[in-house]
Amino acid sequence: MSEPIEITFDEALYPKDAIYGAAYVLIDRCYVHLDRASENRITVKLQPKPGVTITAEQAIGEFQNEALGQAWRRQILEENRALIEMISSRALGGAAGPPGLDDLLALETSEDTAFDDPLGIAMSWEEKYKKKKPEETTPEDGKEEP
Amino acid sequence: MIEKRFHSDLYDGNAVDAAVRVYEGFGTFELEKTPEAFIVRIRANSGIDERRLADELANYALGTTIESRNVAGGHS
Repeated sequence: MSEPIEITFDEALYPKDAIYGAAYVLIDRCYVHLDRASENRITVKLQPKPGVTITAEQAIGEFQNEALGQAWRRQILEENRALIEMISSRALGGAAGPPGLDDLLALETSEDTAFDDPLGIAMSWEEKYKKKKPEETTPEDGKEEP
Repeated sequence: MIEKRFHSDLYDGNAVDAAVRVYEGFGTFELEKTPEAFIVRIRANSGIDERRLADELANYALGTTIESRNVAGGHS
């Protein structure tokens, strides 16, 4: 079993969660111990477990790469958080399906909240296309008065 | 005897306790809580590699700490 190697990370560059993520990736092959070197610095001690082929130097290199990748993924996530939340909420809203009867009954519909209908979409077919009675016709309809 | 120090900012106290419970059959453990750290003093039973026992306990405590943070969705 090779000797343990220590490396110190600056939390301004590698957030604690990135270090945890890298540690979790290596924890099956190495003994990993974390300690705080100072207020913003974390020391990682790595030692390969007996029987694994990885050396301590290789483990440290892999840890650094993984920590960098984890930190970068977290930064991308933070930058796109608003977009991801918007897409997720729209997808969940769509999956909920059309409103049920209770939802429709709970809607506030009064004269104040009713919408304008300039195209007559809300009007029934019979109401919209019914034949007008003779007394309802006017000169504008194209018939002249005798 | 080996002394392991788990900084309380990096390790969950419940995870350290859980690790001690898991390995209590392999040795005797003495726990101490300071303002900065959880300290575990480990004495392995005869026939048990004390260094390896201490390292396995530390790994278990770290793994459980990370898993508990992920379950809680914690960030700091």
